[in-house]
Order: sequence, then structure tokens, then C-alpha cells
Amino acid sequence: MAFWFFRGLGKGIVTTRYPKAIDPWTSALPTPPAFHSDRLTIALVDRLIEVCPSRALAREHNELIFDVGACSACERCVQEGAGAVEHSGVFELASTRREHLLKRVHIGRGSA
Amino acid sequence: MTDDALAAELRRRALALFGRSLHIRTVDTGSCAVCESEIRLLSAPPYDLHRLGFFFTPAPRHADLLLITGPAVRAMDTALLKTFEATPDPKAVVAVGACALGGVYEEDGFVHGAVDRVLPVDVYVPGCPPSPLALLHGLLVAVGRLEERVAALTFDLAAEVER
Amino acid sequence: MNQAITDLVLAAGAAWVLAAAVGLGAVRALWLRAAALLSGLGGACAVVGGVLLAVHGHATNVNLGSSLVGGASLRFTPLAAAFIVLLGIVAVAIALYAPRYHVPGRGTAVYLAVYNLALVASAIVLAAGSVVTFLVAWESMALFSYLVILRHQEREEVARGAFLFLALSEIGFALIVAAFAILATQTHTLDLATIAARAGHIGSGWRTAAFLLALTGFGFKAGVVPFHIWLPAAHPVAPADGSAFLSGLVIKLGVYGIALFSVTLLRGGPAWWGLVMMGLGALSAVLGILYALMERDLKRFLAYSSIENIGIVLVALGASLTFAAYHQRAIATFLLITALYHVVNHGVYKTLLFLEAGVIEHATGTRDLDRLGGLIRLLPRTSVISLIGTLGIAALPPLNGFVTEWMLFQGLFQGFRIPNHTVGILIVVAGAVIALTAGLALSAFARAYGIPFLGRPRSEGAARARERGQPIAGPALLAVTCVFLGVGAPLVLTVLARAARAVTGVNIHAELLVPKLTVIPAHTNFSGFSPTYLAVFIVVVAAVPILIYLAGRPRAASRKVPVWDGGILAFEARMQYTATTFANPVRVTFDPLYRPAIELQRASDEPAGRSGPVHYDARVTPIFERFLYRPVVRFVELLARAARPIQSGDVNLYLLYVLVVVIVAFAIYAK
Repeated sequence: MAFWFFRGLGKGIVTTRYPKAIDPWTSALPTPPAFHSDRLTIALVDRLIEVCPSRALAREHNELIFDVGACSACERCVQEGAGAVEHSGVFELASTRREHLLKRVHIGRGSA
Repeated sequence: MTDDALAAELRRRALALFGRSLHIRTVDTGSCAVCESEIRLLSAPPYDLHRLGFFFTPAPRHADLLLITGPAVRAMDTALLKTFEATPDPKAVVAVGACALGGVYEEDGFVHGAVDRVLPVDVYVPGCPPSPLALLHGLLVAVGRLEERVAALTFDLAAEVER
Repeated sequence: MNQAITDLVLAAGAAWVLAAAVGLGAVRALWLRAAALLSGLGGACAVVGGVLLAVHGHATNVNLGSSLVGGASLRFTPLAAAFIVLLGIVAVAIALYAPRYHVPGRGTAVYLAVYNLALVASAIVLAAGSVVTFLVAWESMALFSYLVILRHQEREEVARGAFLFLALSEIGFALIVAAFAILATQTHTLDLATIAARAGHIGSGWRTAAFLLALTGFGFKAGVVPFHIWLPAAHPVAPADGSAFLSGLVIKLGVYGIALFSVTLLRGGPAWWGLVMMGLGALSAVLGILYALMERDLKRFLAYSSIENIGIVLVALGASLTFAAYHQRAIATFLLITALYHVVNHGVYKTLLFLEAGVIEHATGTRDLDRLGGLIRLLPRTSVISLIGTLGIAALPPLNGFVTEWMLFQGLFQGFRIPNHTVGILIVVAGAVIALTAGLALSAFARAYGIPFLGRPRSEGAARARERGQPIAGPALLAVTCVFLGVGAPLVLTVLARAARAVTGVNIHAELLVPKLTVIPAHTNFSGFSPTYLAVFIVVVAAVPILIYLAGRPRAASRKVPVWDGGILAFEARMQYTATTFANPVRVTFDPLYRPAIELQRASDEPAGRSGPVHYDARVTPIFERFLYRPVVRFVELLARAARPIQSGDVNLYLLYVLVVVIVAFAIYAK
């Protein structure tokens, strides 16, 4: 019998966890944007809201409300944002509650 | 524990039982089928959901988890609800893709806009489309084998730099 | 014993004559029922008489008077015994059916009279002792059957169907007269028993001519391809019990005629006679079932199925002749028994199916398979009875059809015992064709039972079907008979073996039935099976899962939920298979045979889905009518037109004809 069979039985391991390491090509996957809150302005944010085709962005006073769930990773906001918006590279976005996907970003320099 | 907490704990344990053997039934409520392509890729060698004990089944009566794509068009209401009722308890509902989570399509006379306006959803998997890795992550979160990660993220790079 | 048989059959005939007379009064319901009762009593006498005749195993003569040309005499032969029993069964079943099917009235009164007279004529055909008796009875039977078909003569298709029946019957009659004429003149007697005794001394050329004429002539009545075209035309238009009588009995009289000539009168012949019969039989069988699969009209379908079964009987008879020619007399007798058994079996279940087709037509208003459906819920008892008949005709164990098909195959597979290899191979090829037929028949009857009875109704008429007031007793009796003929095969075979012994002189009882109720095909060490034990086995095996379920049923309350249907909005009857689509794979496979004429009309040129209604019409090309009958009819019409000047209507010309003939007659006889 193979050695790994008994090791697996002993440790109760059925298979490797998902995945053992992150592959480098995953950085090219389409992902939602991340924001530099210090570089955001209200005018820019309103422009980004207009540009987003998926209604993932909204503004409440001086807070940008970003719906990660609604984002279709089209990166129009990254192009319009000119340095304030970046490709985030995060793709493991599963969530058990819808509220966890609503992110609030302060517009302009301010407390975190 | 309160009754709600008891029920939630019961569900969590029931879903954890599926961790080693989960049967998945996909339902397309009007998607563009790119999410379906990504779901199909789950059987491919790089991702291979069979090694995790997950299987696709066409029969909702054999299913433990419903994987729903698309913005829940109203024309699919009967089919979606019939599928949901045909799936025996305990079951999990996973909404996949930006359409199913409320993006892309607004609610109007033809479409609900989001799956959770029709069914109670247990796990939301954003993406357009979510890659098979994201789908695997979502499925494992559903059965409690992995923890969700997005709750801790802020998507605010300036705040993270400060931290 | 002789007296008992004679008395019984004569009593049956008398009962039917009386029933005809009473039937004329069937303007009132009471007279209708009385006529049916008499008809049924006659049938019962015929059944008992036939069974006794088979068991008794000797022929009996009854002389009715010699003042008529050749003398009218009856002769009860064991060969006819099976047919007489069938006549009785059919008569009883129809007698139980008729009071609930027919409405009292003048049309019904005339119909009942001619129907019962047809029964009498059929009985005389089966019991004829002289050539003249046979021919007179045969023509009467044909004419009365013609009148039976004409029940609803005001409809055009009825007139056409009846006309085709009569026309082909007359052509056949001419050939039959010719065949009898050859035998009578060569043996110098009109008495059938004497002909049989002397026929061995006739020259082989005359014998062959008589055989071929008889085969063709009786083939017209039996419905052998290519003499069959009257069957699908006449059966749908006759009333249900009339169609049952036609298919259950009249076509069997054609088979009786062929058997009479080949087995009794000519006492067998060269092997090629049997091969010709087998070829025609195989052709009829396979073409019959192929055309049946394309039919939407339930009764036309059953008519083609009758052609198929006659083909099977003919294969059995032909194989019997062939084996006899090579002195394999045991197998020949075995196949003769198979042929007789199949005649009875087919008579029983085809009658059942036609009677039930009548019930369906009455209940739903249509015979179109594509408009029926869901009848198993609306007509439950009819469905069960039809199911037994369908299982019988599809030759599924343990019913009667399976027994005779098994026997036929076992007989044919013993072709290797014939020293002539070509003949042996041909026999096995016939077996292969019959196997193809059996497979297609299974598919055809799955369609004929499944489409009307299962699923949802495909039309308003089907949804409105009700079982109240529909005849049940007649078909139920036939269903019980089917089961008895299957499960009780050892008993039936004992009786048939005794009848066959009287006909061929070979007693194969020991090589037919061994202890433990097993049937073997004339040779031990070849094969064997027991229909009785098989039936018991099937019942027991079916009972086991049922008992397990009953014992292990969960005690907790169970929840009823709708069946998973794929999430559709609602199940519509139009989503089901239709009879046409069910048979489509066969239609596509055998396209070169069917050569369907297809007509496709779209409401517009828009692509599919937006084009509006699409009309698709596919008709099977009737190749026999077009390429065989129409040229012959045209030729006859040509001759008639050429001969028309003779009948100019001018009286003077006719007087000239008389003068010329008288002069010529004087010239000849003056010598």
C-alpha cells in the first residue's frame, strides 16, 4: 500500500485543499476595482457613477458606495478614474450575506 | 441559543455534512451563458470539482445545492420555483454572477433583476463571469469548508496602505 | 358421437336461421336481444360441436338430398373443427356485444338478418360435403358479408369498400370454381370425400393447376398480398361487429379453402408448392405489418394486421407442405397444428380488438389514433380487456399469440432436417422474415395501445369518453378465452393433435406434449417450454416485489408532491408523441417501400417559429392499386369498350344474333 494512503487515512485528508497556491496567471483575471480614497473627488465619483453600466457605484454625501456583487469588471471606471481606480486582483469574492458586498469608500483624504 | 440561532446552526451543520459529497443542480434564469461556460469548466483537470466530492446532477430531487445564474427573468419564475420546491431540504442556494446579484439588469416588467428577489440565497458569488476558482471558493464557502474573505476587504487602497 | 356432432352443428345452423328471422323484427329492442340470444346459443352449439368433432377425429357425412345437382351434402371433417369452434366463439362474442352496440331500427333489423345468414353460410362452407354445396355456400357467405359491410350504405366510403370486397370476392370465386372444376372433371365426381380419395391419380399438371388456382382464389378471400386490397377498404366502413366477423372469421374461410385443397383434397404435393405458399405468406406478413404501422385509422390498422397474421398462417401451412414433401411427417403435422392454432388465436384476439375499436369509436367519436389518448382513465375496463388482446396479438408470453409464434419458429428452425439445402435455407429465411414481422408487430401494437389509452386525450372527443352503456361482456369473454388459449395450451394442443391425426394420419401427441405440461416441437432434444408453468412463474415473480413493498411500507405519514416535470408551465396534450411520430423511424427506414407523397405548405416564408401554420401531408403510395390493379382494370375496360358495339340496343341486330346462333346450332347438331 502506498505511504500517502495511510497518511491520508491517519490525518483524515481526502484531497488537497483548494488551491494550494495562487497561480500567477490569476492576476490577469477580470476583477472588481479598488479605489484610492485620497485621490477621489466628488466630481470624479459622479463621473464614475455615470460611466458604470452595471449600477455598482453610488454616492451618499461624501461616501462612495461600491456594490461588489453588481460589478461586472468591465474596468470603465479604471479608465475614467485616471489613477484613482485600480484593478484589485481579488477574485475570491463569495459571501454569505449581501451586505458584506456593499463597500463604503470615503471620498477624499479622510479617516479610514 | 435563540431559535433563529438554533436554526442557523442546524443549517450550518447540515450543509457541512455535504462537504464531502455535494450534488449541484444549475439553473439558468436568463443569463448570457458565459457563467455556464465557467461552471462547465469546473469539471476540467485544473479545477476538477470531482476530487472535492462535488457532482453535477440534472435532477433537482437528487440535488443538495442550486447554482443559479442569470437575472431571474419573470418567464423563468415557474421553472425556478418548481426546481426549488423539487429540491429536498436541506439545500443551499448559490447565486452566481453580476446578473444574479442585481447588477447589469434593473428590475422591470421582464426581469426581477436579482435572484434573491425570488428565492432565499445562501451564498453570493460575484464576477462577470466568476472564474472557476471563484466558483470553487463559493461552493466551499457554502459547505463550510472555507471561510469567506470578502467581508474583511475594504477595496480602499489608501486605507490599506495606512494600515 | 357422430350423431351428437351432427346434431350440435345443425342446431347451431338452425339457431342462426331463427336468429335471422327474429332479427328482422329488431325494430324493437326486445327482438334485438332475442336475436342476439339465439345467435349466441347457436355459437355455443358450434363451439361444443367443433370441439367434439376435433376430439372424435372422424369425418361424418350427412346427406341432405340428391335432387339438386350433385346432391347437397354436409361433411364434418376434423380439419374444419378448429374453424367451427372459432365460428362459434366469434358468434357468441358478437351476440353479447350487439345489443349494446346497435340501436334498434330498420337498418339494424336487416343487418342482423343478413349477419346471421352469413353465419349459416359460413358454417355450411366449413361443413360442405360436395362441390356444389361448397360453392353455393361460399357465394352466399360472400353476398351476405357484402350486405353486412353495407350497413351504412348512404356513406360514400362504405359503398366503395363494400364494392371492393365484392369485386375481389367474385374474382376469387371464378378462380375457385375453376379449381373445383378441374378436380371434379378429372375425378368424375362432385363429392368431396371421393375427390380426396381419387385425387392421387390426377396428372401432376392438373394438380398443380388446381392448387395454384385454389391458392389464388382463396387468397383473394384470405387477404394474401397482392390480393388484399379489399381488407383496408372494407374493414373501417363496416360496423364494429361486422369488421370483427370479417377479420375474425371470413378471412379464415379463405385459409380453410387453401388448407382443404392442399391438405385434404390434393393430399400434399411437391415441395415447391409449400415454398410458394411460404413466399406469399412471408410477403403478406411483412408488408401487412409495414403498412399497418403507417395507419392512423385504428380499424385500417387492424385490417393490415389481419393481413400480417394470415401471412403467418400461410407460412405455417406452406412449411407443413414442404416438410411433408420430404417425408418429415411429424414436423409437418406439428406445423399444421400451429396453423390451426394460430387461426383460432388470431380469430379470438382480432375479434376482441375490433369490438373494442367499436367501443372506442362510440365513446370518443373518432377512430383517428392521433386524436385519442388517456382512455385508460376514462374507459378502465375496456383498457384492461384491450390490453389482454394487445398482449396476445403482440405475441407476448404467456398468452396465446406467443405459444403459436414459438411453435412456428421452432418448426421453421428445423429446416435443417430437410436433405435439400436450398429448401432448408429458404425455410429458415422465411423464419427470419417472420421474426422481422414479429418485431415490427410489437412496435405497431405498442403504438396502437399506447397512443389511444395512455397519456392525455388529444382531442375533445377523447376527453368526453364514458364507459357507461358500452358493451363489456363480449370482449371480456374473448379476453378470458385469450388467456385460456395461452395458459391452457397443453389442453388445446391435445385436442388439435387429435384433429391433425385424422387429417394427416400422424399422431404426434407424444412428440408434442411431454409430462409436466411442456410443449415440444415434434422432436425431443430440440427445445421445449411450458406455457402453463410460464404463466405461474410470471405471476409469482410479479408478486414478490409487491409483497416486499406491502410488508416494508414505511409506517410514517408520507407527503405527496407533484412529479418533477422539468419545470414546465403546464403539461399540454400536444407535447405527447402522436401515432405518426411514433412510427416515423420505421417510415424513414422503409422509405423506398412507402414512397410517401409529401405535401408541405407554409403560411408564409418567414423562418420556422414565425411562419404561421405549417401543413404537412404524407401519404403512403398504394403500390398494388397503382401498379397492379389499375392497369388490369384499364385493360378490362379497354376490352369492354371494344366489345360495346355488340350491344347496340338495336332489336333487329339482336334478332340477327338469335338467327345466326340457331343456324350454327342446327349445323353442329344435325350431324
